[in-house]
Amino acid sequence: MFDTNITLNQFVEAIGDTFYMVGMSLLLGTIIGTIFGILIVVTKPGGIIPFPIVYMILNPIINIIRSVPFIILIVALIPFTRSIVGTSIGNNAAIVPLIIFITPFIARLVENSLLEVGPGIIEAAESMGATPFQVIWHFILPEAFGSLILSLTTATISLVGASAMAGTVGAGGVGNIAIVYGYQRFDSFAMFSTVVILIIIVQVIQSTGNKLARMIRRN
Amino acid sequence: MIILEDIHKVYLRKKVETTALKGVSLQVDKGDIFGVIGYSGAGKSTLVRLVNYLERPTSGKVIVDGQLLSDRSAHELRQIKKDIGMIFQHFNLLESKTIYQNVAMPLILSKKGKKEIKERVTELLTFVGLSDKANSYPNELSGGQKQRVGIARALASKPKILLCDEATSALDPQTTQSILDLLKKVNNEYGITIMLITHEMSVIQKVCNKVAVMEEGEIIEQGSVLDVFGHPKHTTSKNFVQTVVRTEIPANIKRKLAEREVSTLAKLEMVGDHATEPVLQALINKFHLDVSVVFTNMTEIQDTTLAIWYLQIEGKESDKRAAWKFLEEQNVRYEEVTF
Repeated sequence: MFDTNITLNQFVEAIGDTFYMVGMSLLLGTIIGTIFGILIVVTKPGGIIPFPIVYMILNPIINIIRSVPFIILIVALIPFTRSIVGTSIGNNAAIVPLIIFITPFIARLVENSLLEVGPGIIEAAESMGATPFQVIWHFILPEAFGSLILSLTTATISLVGASAMAGTVGAGGVGNIAIVYGYQRFDSFAMFSTVVILIIIVQVIQSTGNKLARMIRRN
Repeated sequence: MIILEDIHKVYLRKKVETTALKGVSLQVDKGDIFGVIGYSGAGKSTLVRLVNYLERPTSGKVIVDGQLLSDRSAHELRQIKKDIGMIFQHFNLLESKTIYQNVAMPLILSKKGKKEIKERVTELLTFVGLSDKANSYPNELSGGQKQRVGIARALASKPKILLCDEATSALDPQTTQSILDLLKKVNNEYGITIMLITHEMSVIQKVCNKVAVMEEGEIIEQGSVLDVFGHPKHTTSKNFVQTVVRTEIPANIKRKLAEREVSTLAKLEMVGDHATEPVLQALINKFHLDVSVVFTNMTEIQDTTLAIWYLQIEGKESDKRAAWKFLEEQNVRYEEVTF
């Protein structure tokens, strides 16, 4: 029907690979990134647990990693990746740089979301005799939750984009099909359909994120 | 209940020192509704935050319920804060939580049981008249309702003291009145000592029994509300009092007086029952003086009446002297006025 070398099975497998890579790196990146984001906000001078050393170390590290383009990060991290997952090719090998890439991004997004919570809320919490942990857990996080969901949506979408470059280290995924078949073998159908699939994936993620955030905010 | 002793507060921002408080001392007794009034930047926000140690003094003592706060550890301070409720100008409610959850928050922080929380929150919501709003969210409420939630939340941990930081400044006059009525009820029914700061003298007039006037980090005048309203000493206090009580003769009357020949112009100040006693009649009948009323004003403060009379008085000097003596005996504050 179409002039293509690619099978439906390959597509299904590629979508599975994309979800696997994005899912794993999102999970770990969210956990570490959220912790870093919270640490930055609370240890800042004038924060609820001022701890300048933590802030002064964490803040530049985040900036440094964020300045390296992902394609370079993948290659630069090959020795590190090999020491962690035992191989430098395949899906699991792609997940390591994806986590390193997304964690500081999420940390910044989380920082922004948490800073949206007004100082009045924190003052109210402190006037009730809340411990710093209670201020974070009962006041800042619930108030920032809607915004955090939107931040994570943004992070997920940039992970989908980054995972397309994972083919560089021999990982699968939708982006890999576009490069291997669409670009290197001039298979226009493969190229076109991967673009459509990526558009659909991104749309679904964004509208789910929006819906969730609205549910949480408006209640 | 609250004692502040020679408090100085200096902020250091970007290596520039700003002095917020310059040697402030005051005492709030149990059961008081103590008002602090001043223009913005006078230091009253800093002052009220000293009481629950949201602000620490640079020097001076803060003693709350017999405890010197600077001696207390962070943990002890958190326990002390649970005995001090606070409400805010912008309410500071959690938008992501229901009214019920907002009011329950101080109890959740103290790790109280579900059943106890439910009883207490239900009781408080009934007290502030919002029992039908338990499952609403703050953005569904009006400003006045939000402040009622703020009050319920502040009372949840059964505090001894309630601090009000410009609690009515974001509300319209009618809503302000209803919130002030509620604060009076809090003071009467729960016996909670209230310290409030405001820039509106009408708030002081309606609920406070004591007042301190602040300007540029200092308390320039303090005392009972009746005293300060009756004869404010400092210009700023006078200006504040003028916003709700006319204690001075209006300009147009002054002009007319200037045209006439007036032998004596007297200002009489009567509080409570005196305001209704026939003092004027006595001046005329007993002392044979010619009395005409130039200007008068009556104001209700703390459920009693403050009356100010400006009288033009003609008659024999000896009669006048006898009359002044009589006024003194009647506890009517008397003052000869020139202008």
